[in-house]
Amino acid sequence: MSTSVSAPPMASAFGGWLFVALLATLAAVPWFTGSVFHFHIGIMVCLAGMATGGLAVIAWVGQLSLAHAAFVGIGAYTSVLLVTRLDLPFLVGLPAAAVVAGAVAYIIGAPLLRLRGVYFVLITFALNELFRLVMLEFPGISGGSSGIAGVPKIQLFGITLAAQWQVYIFTLICLAVVMALLWLIRNGQLGRRFAAVEENPALAESSGIPTARTQSLAFVIGCAIAGATGSIMAHYVGFVSPETFAFQLSVSYVIMLVTGGRLALWGPLVGAVFLTPLPEFLRGAVEYQHIIYGVILIAVLRFLPQGLAGLPEQIARLRRDQR
Amino acid sequence: MSFLIAQSIINGVILGTLYLMMAIGFTLAFGVMRIVNFAHGEFYMIGAFLALIGVNWLGLPFPLALALTAALAILLGALVERIVFRPFRADELSGMIASLGLAMILQHAALIIFGPDPQSFPALVSGVYRLGDLIVPQSRALTLGVGVVILLAFYVFLMHTRMGRALRALVQDQEVAAIYGVRLEIMYPLGLGLGVALAAVAGGLMAPLFGVSPFIGATPLLKAFIVVILGGLGSIPGAALAAILLGLIESLTSSFVSASAADIVTFALVVVVLLIRPAGLLGRGEA
Amino acid sequence: MRMSRILAITSAVALMAGNAIAQEETLKIGALVTLSGAGASWGQGMLRAAELAAEDVNENGGLEVGGTNYKVEVIPYDDSYKANEAVTAANRLVFEEKVKYIIGTVGSAPILAIQPITEENGVITMTLGFTAQALSPEKPYTFRPNPTTAEVAQPQIDWIVANQGIKTVGALFPKDETGEAIAEDVAAAYSAAGAELAAVEFFERDRVDFIPLLTRIVAQGVDAIELDGNSPVTAGQIVQQARDIGFEGVIVRTGGPATQEIVNVAGNAATEGMFVHSAFDPGVEKAAAYEARYVETYGETMNGFSPFFYDGTKMLFAAMQEAGTVEDTEAVKTALEGLTDYEGVLGTMNWTGEEPYGIAHQLDSPFYIARVEDGAEVIVARCTTTGCE
Repeated sequence: MSTSVSAPPMASAFGGWLFVALLATLAAVPWFTGSVFHFHIGIMVCLAGMATGGLAVIAWVGQLSLAHAAFVGIGAYTSVLLVTRLDLPFLVGLPAAAVVAGAVAYIIGAPLLRLRGVYFVLITFALNELFRLVMLEFPGISGGSSGIAGVPKIQLFGITLAAQWQVYIFTLICLAVVMALLWLIRNGQLGRRFAAVEENPALAESSGIPTARTQSLAFVIGCAIAGATGSIMAHYVGFVSPETFAFQLSVSYVIMLVTGGRLALWGPLVGAVFLTPLPEFLRGAVEYQHIIYGVILIAVLRFLPQGLAGLPEQIARLRRDQR
Repeated sequence: MSFLIAQSIINGVILGTLYLMMAIGFTLAFGVMRIVNFAHGEFYMIGAFLALIGVNWLGLPFPLALALTAALAILLGALVERIVFRPFRADELSGMIASLGLAMILQHAALIIFGPDPQSFPALVSGVYRLGDLIVPQSRALTLGVGVVILLAFYVFLMHTRMGRALRALVQDQEVAAIYGVRLEIMYPLGLGLGVALAAVAGGLMAPLFGVSPFIGATPLLKAFIVVILGGLGSIPGAALAAILLGLIESLTSSFVSASAADIVTFALVVVVLLIRPAGLLGRGEA
Repeated sequence: MRMSRILAITSAVALMAGNAIAQEETLKIGALVTLSGAGASWGQGMLRAAELAAEDVNENGGLEVGGTNYKVEVIPYDDSYKANEAVTAANRLVFEEKVKYIIGTVGSAPILAIQPITEENGVITMTLGFTAQALSPEKPYTFRPNPTTAEVAQPQIDWIVANQGIKTVGALFPKDETGEAIAEDVAAAYSAAGAELAAVEFFERDRVDFIPLLTRIVAQGVDAIELDGNSPVTAGQIVQQARDIGFEGVIVRTGGPATQEIVNVAGNAATEGMFVHSAFDPGVEKAAAYEARYVETYGETMNGFSPFFYDGTKMLFAAMQEAGTVEDTEAVKTALEGLTDYEGVLGTMNWTGEEPYGIAHQLDSPFYIARVEDGAEVIVARCTTTGCE
């Protein structure tokens, strides 16, 4: 992995404010256009941003998980089952989803995180498939391959979020909370510990950082965020099935993370904002959309190794070099 | 009952060898390039289509079509190495994700060119060989025979030619190989080209068995993944052992428990092996 | 938004002007189908059916509804057979493109996932999804133009069991929502016909090797193997591998027209003597003409479900004309329900399904049992939902 971990993506305070202003403008787009569909895309961007944010926390300790969709699925099913079977409110289902996903991550994290690099990628891939297959074996819980339809909409304090713009506001707040959490981790003592483990686990261990505990903590936080995302996703879309959480969903989160910037704070958000609406721009060319998507992916990897979030820095460096 | 066990073992060994054909190119590409190639299945698919074009459209005999497929696939692999993978040599994860993009491009290009419907591939032989109660379909026996010949030829190439030795040196240790004069600029494209060619030949060879459509790449990719994880990344003998094991597990569990149990057992085994021996059954310790 | 307002104003103007001058407007129809991944064969067949139906009316100067001439435009969106992507596409079609009619989806999960949006907004959908949950009195805007196993299984299986003297049957189904639904229907139909579905196997959709499963089924001495519920490719592989291991009994496909694809995969020899469901009588002139037109236009063999959606789309157009509106989908829906004895390319069509689904939104069309000879269907019995002869 790249070594420039500690360098913040936004060099100057001015750049930072500009970035925040840009994000706020982007977030307001659906209100300008007034289109329900744009609100829907906004919701999808928020959900993708949250899930990818969770994946980023795991990436900060140097691990790339292909089981992220399974944790989104654990959260989704936890919440759906609590709400539909036990008639608990969504406000119980949401935190429960995060707790259950985090707990599962804690339990399997210890043996799992001994593996590194490609091996970790592969085992998490196998785990994601295992999750899907096992869920299919228990139709009583998962609805089997027909899934569970008619999941109740999000309800907060007796108010049902029926319209897309209402859900959008809620997901924006959730996304802001996740990003704030990421920012706190990043700029706190924990962030420095994460970075040290990412850069060189052996060195980190010898300088007194408990590598295993640090990685486990990152894995639990990341997976808990995924679980919460799953809960919101299930209640918004209204349908869950084990197939929804197949490894292709994990792959799409990984693609967003890497495109946005694997180690940058804003990477997951930038990746989600860029890639979630992208197919919509390409839909005009139904046949070619996946090809164009693939080409863009390879081009970003090739020419922006720091991801899109590293773009300003890269431009700044180019300018310096020219001088 | 004992008849069913014997039959299942025969089925399993045949299936395992087919899976080895599907996986061997994948493990070679990882060994040389350090790339987890998600586009592997798509090269299998392309091989099936190339063989189909050779046999159905150009009217070539099957062996010639297969040879042409292999030659074209080596070129394609070298080209892909040059355009897509070369920039990511130092970065396994980026290379892996680039291969995902490549897989998307290849599959949907095939969809546009050939359409989604399965294409008909003429059967080469039909009927069964019988050994008492035991049955071996002739089509599988033929595929198996040709597959084993190709695998042996590949083995001889790897063990007893200069290029093969250079490739093996690369699989073992790239820096040392470079010091000893292995020319990376030739060996990298060649390595991926061979990996792609093996996938494509497997696709062409199995086209009469498993059919041809733009979506046939998913199965070989999944099987290659499992075989390579079980056997150890980059270990060719490990892949052979793991493929036979996978074939036997699938066949026996499917015959005596159920098909869905077979998949769960397989993935559970993968997880257990990775936890106990991360480098796989015969892989080198590295994790 | 603005487009539809203009549309509303202009059609109002047109109404005032009377039928003297027919205005030219655009009527958008969404095609939310699977265009990538394994379900793409069906998705393309459906999309092309809608396109051909649109071509028909456009060539005649457009669809005349209430004095306005509409040029029909089909807008295709891909759902990749996934519920989440279908929801996004449905949002776009309903709220952005403002379509009132959607041909789709292919899959069962996608239709269940988009129904909250389409039903709430009064968007008429025509789905292929085999799930029984797709049609219900609470979902008045969903129609299904193709018969499912629930409709065709009993008469067809009665005939096969009686004519081939079948006692026990083995079957392989994909482990997905369609496979499980069909397994139930088929098992019930066989036991009602006096035979038994003795050996049933479920498998993961990507599986290509069926020899272990078939070995077990054949070892139980079944008289026949049932293929219903499998994708054409998988069905072809099962036929080929069953013959490969020396199975000599009858192979039956109850429902799901896919003979050409199965023959493509398995070859003429393996499929010889197989009994298949067919919706298509090449002896009927209109049916043969549709197939010829499809092949000529697209240069590919016709997907078996395509004619249902061609007829379905044409019926939708007829209902719009009947209702005299394209905006008021409730009126169009009622008019569509009221169509009886519609003469489509597949024969005479009527709505059914009151009893099993609680709403008569299931299209009933004649179908056939065919025997495969030298890679082609030869019709051996003609059926309706009440029986075959």
